[in-house]
Amino acid sequence: MSRKFFSGPFILILPSILAIGFVIIIPLIFSFYTSFTSYKLTRPDSLFNFVGLRNYERLIDNTKFWYAFGRTILFLAVVLNLELLFGLGIALLINKITWGQRTLRTIMMFPMMFSPILVGFQWKYIFNDNIGLLNNFLYLFGYESAIPWLIDKYLAMGSIMVAEIWANTSIFAILLLAGLLGIPRDPIEAARVDGCNSWQVFKNITLPFLMPFIFIALTIRSLDVGRAYDIVHIMTGGGPAMRTELIWTMIARIGYKDANMGFANAMSYVSIILSIAFTYYFFTKLVAARRDLGQQ
Amino acid sequence: MKFLKNFLVVISLLTLPFSAFAVDENFPNDKVAIWGDFSGITLDVKLIGGAPYDPLYEVMIPIWEAKTGGKVSILSKKSHFELDKEIKQDIAAGNISYCVVSNHTSFATQYGDIYRDLNGIVPKDFLAEFVPLVLDHSTVDGRLVQLPQHSDVSNLWYIKSIYEDEDNKKRFKAEYGYDLAPPETLEQWKEQAIFWSDPPNFYGTQYVGKEEAITGRFYELVIAEGGALFDEGMRPVFNDEAGQRALQWFVDLYNAQAVPAGVLNYLWDETGLGFASGTVALNLDWGGWGAYFNSADSKIGGDVGLVRFPMGSGGKRGGWSGSHTYSILNGCPEENLEAAASLIWILTNHEAQMHEARGGKLPTMTRVWEDIASEMDADGNAFMSDLFSTFSASMAEDAFTPPLIPEWIPFSNIIFPELQAAIVGDKSVKEALDDAAKETDYLMQDAGYY
Repeated sequence: MSRKFFSGPFILILPSILAIGFVIIIPLIFSFYTSFTSYKLTRPDSLFNFVGLRNYERLIDNTKFWYAFGRTILFLAVVLNLELLFGLGIALLINKITWGQRTLRTIMMFPMMFSPILVGFQWKYIFNDNIGLLNNFLYLFGYESAIPWLIDKYLAMGSIMVAEIWANTSIFAILLLAGLLGIPRDPIEAARVDGCNSWQVFKNITLPFLMPFIFIALTIRSLDVGRAYDIVHIMTGGGPAMRTELIWTMIARIGYKDANMGFANAMSYVSIILSIAFTYYFFTKLVAARRDLGQQ
Repeated sequence: MKFLKNFLVVISLLTLPFSAFAVDENFPNDKVAIWGDFSGITLDVKLIGGAPYDPLYEVMIPIWEAKTGGKVSILSKKSHFELDKEIKQDIAAGNISYCVVSNHTSFATQYGDIYRDLNGIVPKDFLAEFVPLVLDHSTVDGRLVQLPQHSDVSNLWYIKSIYEDEDNKKRFKAEYGYDLAPPETLEQWKEQAIFWSDPPNFYGTQYVGKEEAITGRFYELVIAEGGALFDEGMRPVFNDEAGQRALQWFVDLYNAQAVPAGVLNYLWDETGLGFASGTVALNLDWGGWGAYFNSADSKIGGDVGLVRFPMGSGGKRGGWSGSHTYSILNGCPEENLEAAASLIWILTNHEAQMHEARGGKLPTMTRVWEDIASEMDADGNAFMSDLFSTFSASMAEDAFTPPLIPEWIPFSNIIFPELQAAIVGDKSVKEALDDAAKETDYLMQDAGYY
């Protein structure tokens, strides 16, 4: 047993196990433990004040948290779908180009190169009601009212979605373009010989081939968008009146500003359910899509 | 080796009083100077940063480094809200071994006992120079945990020319039935703001609309309306009639479009720069913007007036006040303590306060109030003289701190979204304040007040 335990392969992967343990497992166990305490950042001794399920019980009654939870699901659903649509459109267009495709691919990735903080500031300025580019552009055409893009009940969330989509659509486009480049030409040419039009080719051949790529992109982005924080924090801080509050802006405020880390960690663990649900759903779809293509 | 190190620390602390009382040629108006040979010492510091704060560091830190041989390593420089979050994380991580940190009287109570008591570290003669009340506000649980650099309280800035225009005077009198003059009451302020507004080109007034900023503004209006945030037992009472009147004032201005539509995203920079852009008639702000408002860099330079904070129906003026300070952490190594004391001395001494006061910041030393007024009078700078006489009266008669309790920021995080909800019409004023009071009640119960 001990000989097996200290075998060559195990020793070779030991550094990875230790790294994962220290970087992922131990912090996860620690934060899960703190969700059962009244741990406050400014009172390190409160780390040992075990309160059982109290934080979770309070969460159940906390309507603000559930509103933020619901808003996050809405945000995820809208952003993911639009990014998929735009990303697919861009990938299909670029795939058609025979000259300058590399240059366009590079240009397309520019938004991904900006840090989310910078993207937040950039769009905050564009949507500023007073000095913002958008309102001043509208004034040129005779519009006489300052539109409160980052304040209005519907526009505020929409403005943040625009920023998020602008910054990350290219991730979809790149992944789907990789999928398009890998599609065999034979079935498409055969379909055209058989008289299929472009829509039929896309629907019956291109899309099924792309589905695994689409679900991989959706899985990656659902985890990213589910953790959306930086852009929201910079553009609105979750306000006004919590109109743009997502779970992670709420958790950050309670954890860091109120220093109430025990309660914030309880929120985090409930919120992880969302990420797990989306990931599970997309992986199920991915497996089904691969099965349809005859892959394992 | 350890004995030698301790011996050197004791010797250096014993010599501190001797160097402390020497008047320095660089700062002839400072009665106390704290210099030393700090060669080989690097002080790790975290500072509040930004346009209003950086010039002082740029002047004083190089002087300190050149004179003492020590080095200042700025680990972090950011807004106080961000710094607050960072300090809390540092406490949790046990990473509080740096020496000097920017602090604020409204924030200091949250951080427990991470700061050194400056009594005994900073010479008594130097402390005696400060306004006693400001030192009281810098004291937590009987320990002087911070040394105040400047204080803040707000008064009402206005564009003079629009008040002097004869046509405006006639129109205003015809509409409101009294002579146009800078507002003396909250009601007049609201009426005049509505009168001046011509959105989206020009607004009557504005307010900071989020986080602790709007909580503080609401707080001072509650006081001006004759109310209070908490009763004597620290139970929330801000949802009474005075509180409702205070919040209604914000709501009315917003509904009348007398403030910019995005005001709920504004903090201090947005309101200050907005007023300087010449698109706002009345702006409640601290003195620190004064010199800039009246400068050539501002579109209203030479056209700026100032009056005391208008009175509420309770017969009081707003006067939410606090002081920007510096603290020394317990984690600062003993051998760096004298250097740390020297650094916070140079950032708060007479010379530093005069430097800041020339821009309009309010001194915390009694003598600087007199010296800056004399200097401005001698220069014939009527604007700055007026600034200091107005703010001096506010500090003496109107100023009050928020409750100096660790729950101030968590309380603020509860109430400010509710204030915003009433302003944008998601809730009625009563509903928003009742909801905030209910949550605050839980907060105060959990904190053990009752």
